[in-house]
Amino acid sequence: MSESVMPKPGPTEQAPGKPRSLAGDAWHDLRRSKIFWLAAVLIAVILLMAAWPSLFTSADPRDCVLARQHRGPSGAAIFGYDFQGCDVYAKTVYGARYSIVVGVFATLIAGLIGAVFGLAAGFFGGWLDAILSRFIDVMLGIPLLLGAIVLAKRLSADPQSNGVLAVTVTLGLLGWTTAARVLRSSVVAAKNQDYVAAARMLGAGNNRLLFRHILPNSMASYIVVLTILLGINIASEATLSFLGIGLKGNAISWGIAISEATGYVRVAAGPLIWPALFLAATVLAFIMLGDAVRDAFDPKLR
Amino acid sequence: MRGNGPWKMAAGVAAIALLAAGCSGGSSDDDETLPNTISIGIVEPESLIPSNSTEANGSSVLASLFYPLVRFDEQSNPYTVAAEAITHDKANKVWTIRLRSGFTFSNGEPVTVDNYINAWNYGAFGPNAQVASYFFSRIDGYAQMQSVDPDGTGPEKAPEPKATTLTGLRKLNNLTFTVTLSTGFAGWESVMGYDAFYPLPKAAFKSEGVLADNFGDAPIGNGPFKLKGTWQHDSKIVVEKVADFKGTVPKVDGITWKIYQDLGAQYADLVAGNLDVETKIPIESLASASGDLGQRLQKSPSSAFSFVGFPIYEKEYANKDVRRALSMAINREEMTDQIFLGSETPATSFVSPVVAGYRKNSCGQNCEYNPTLAKQIYTAANGPTDIKISYNSDGGHKAWVDAMCNQIKASLGVNCTGSPEPKLADLLKKVRDHKSVGMIRLAWTMDYPLMENYLGPLYTTDGSSNFYGYTNTAFDSLVREGSEAATPQAAIKKWQQAEDILADEMPVLPLRFGQNVYGFSAKVTNVSMDLFQKVDIYKIEVAN
Repeated sequence: MSESVMPKPGPTEQAPGKPRSLAGDAWHDLRRSKIFWLAAVLIAVILLMAAWPSLFTSADPRDCVLARQHRGPSGAAIFGYDFQGCDVYAKTVYGARYSIVVGVFATLIAGLIGAVFGLAAGFFGGWLDAILSRFIDVMLGIPLLLGAIVLAKRLSADPQSNGVLAVTVTLGLLGWTTAARVLRSSVVAAKNQDYVAAARMLGAGNNRLLFRHILPNSMASYIVVLTILLGINIASEATLSFLGIGLKGNAISWGIAISEATGYVRVAAGPLIWPALFLAATVLAFIMLGDAVRDAFDPKLR
Repeated sequence: MRGNGPWKMAAGVAAIALLAAGCSGGSSDDDETLPNTISIGIVEPESLIPSNSTEANGSSVLASLFYPLVRFDEQSNPYTVAAEAITHDKANKVWTIRLRSGFTFSNGEPVTVDNYINAWNYGAFGPNAQVASYFFSRIDGYAQMQSVDPDGTGPEKAPEPKATTLTGLRKLNNLTFTVTLSTGFAGWESVMGYDAFYPLPKAAFKSEGVLADNFGDAPIGNGPFKLKGTWQHDSKIVVEKVADFKGTVPKVDGITWKIYQDLGAQYADLVAGNLDVETKIPIESLASASGDLGQRLQKSPSSAFSFVGFPIYEKEYANKDVRRALSMAINREEMTDQIFLGSETPATSFVSPVVAGYRKNSCGQNCEYNPTLAKQIYTAANGPTDIKISYNSDGGHKAWVDAMCNQIKASLGVNCTGSPEPKLADLLKKVRDHKSVGMIRLAWTMDYPLMENYLGPLYTTDGSSNFYGYTNTAFDSLVREGSEAATPQAAIKKWQQAEDILADEMPVLPLRFGQNVYGFSAKVTNVSMDLFQKVDIYKIEVAN
């Protein structure tokens, strides 16, 4: 399929008289949303941190000296040092990378699976819809943590791996159900629109209908769900790492840092609080972005 | 386990809250409310059959129910207790044991030589699969009591062993018997202080060589206490004083061994006053323990020895200068202070301070922190640029392995990573297959208080725990000569010479000696712990 799947955002300056596209409308709304800009700035900073952590700190997160154990904040280390004498700020900055990598790729996997199920169930309907929807229900019945513990343990049997692949696949395989349901219902709604009927009468085939007419018009809510899922996945990664079944070994991650600091929280709270704050801010940013985008695309929900 | 700190705190708060709310519930028949009784926290024991117990919890309970042939003084020298005299021939091969007369089991049966011989035969008999069976392996005839399963775990059953009794045990009269060893061993008297050598009454056996069904839950011993009721699994074991005990009489009238699943919960109970002794304060609580307990937090030496083995079979570690440099590159003191908060002590010898013959710093310069010299030697020896330390991830080792790696990185300028394996067994299998695992985290707790126990099994060519493939014939023969020496002093001399070889060759890197870090309630006093991680039940008493 050579057609672009997503509607291109309209030019920001519209020619007078020409109606704006849906995306154009949304962008118009988004620009005025304070929440959107707050989320966007936060996400930009975190993405930058994940890509080039050395922009933010010159300290090496693996340079740990026991003699500095639990030393408080200072000019050299603004967040102080943890139990092993590592720079908490450096560790927190470097920890962003795995969170983002796992979050993005797990969401991509979930998005792909969800798209296949949602489109097929919504567009073809009938018995296929019945089967796929029941399967989605079954998957929804699996508690995320329980499923993740079982899956991640199986996938990361090799003690040498740092667990990134295992966690990504696990979260991807378990996280697609809500997205698939949302996509299915918007596909069902779009399918019955007049323009689809018109295209069908003009002789458009299934492929053309699906990818040219229905998908672009169902995409908005889907992207919103995925954006929120991205935030949830980042939080889940930290949860799994905290429980010792996510990232492990020598990976630097917020979940691991929080887990390691828990035992000594009565002695030094900093190593626990800082990664937790960064984690919370990241998750919040993605969820706020999702909310803002949803509001823009779907004014009825406001 | 990591990450359960807050829950423990929550449990403690809940316990205190319950107490404050007056939910003590104290029924009048509660054992702990009796005036002269105490409670000691343990973990569920593996077994209360003496020959089937090799861990400290079961051992503690058994020590209250049984009276051993020998006990150990502060210098770890054995002295006779249930035995009146133990003598041996010149070659340390034939040992004669004379029992004190007048002792009985708590069911009234008199203790005779037969009780020992039957118990030991039971423990040594292969098909009984007793975990402490190997303690009898020095006795003549042990090999004939074992049999090898022809197809491993397959369907075929192992053939019956050729013999059901140890030929090395011979009864002279009701109170005297001899033990003949297959080779001379100077430390045999100490070995007999172990749990496996307790006697069993006639009532323990259903028929000859077959234990009564419920004996494991209600053992009958020859000790100062007897079981009240039976072992209440995962809850408690209650023992009470035996009337007219002939041996040393303890100062308390009864002990409740309270069984806990979690050290943190146990600590909360201790602080709340629901428990009198906790034998192991969890590391997370150490920082607050001195505030919580004050003078009632104490330390005493234990026999645990933690070390890191070098894979000598790997070319990179075959050069002893590489091993020496790595040992000099780490700061043991900093590790015990910062990671273990002083609950362990730095090790600069190969044998624990608790055994006779221990010399402080026998490892010499090779165990002294000296990063500059270490780097010099390491560079000259062309040591590996990538160091790996393998450890089992279920034992809470990550913190100190990471710290050790950081020290090596800082001192030698090489890369170092900790490499977790799920279980120690997985790690040891890789080591046995000579896979590339890098350095190996290991530890040793003694079976009997002799230097030999820290040398023979760990470094002799056919030693049972020599995983790293160290072999040195001079060392082997010194250990053997020591074992066969006529006097303990002569034996120690030989063993110290053997230890000097280790200090020069550094097959392992000594790290830490363990300590008992224990706490007790205001209700009890004179609490002390021995080298086997047991509370001395003869000394402990209720404070006035």
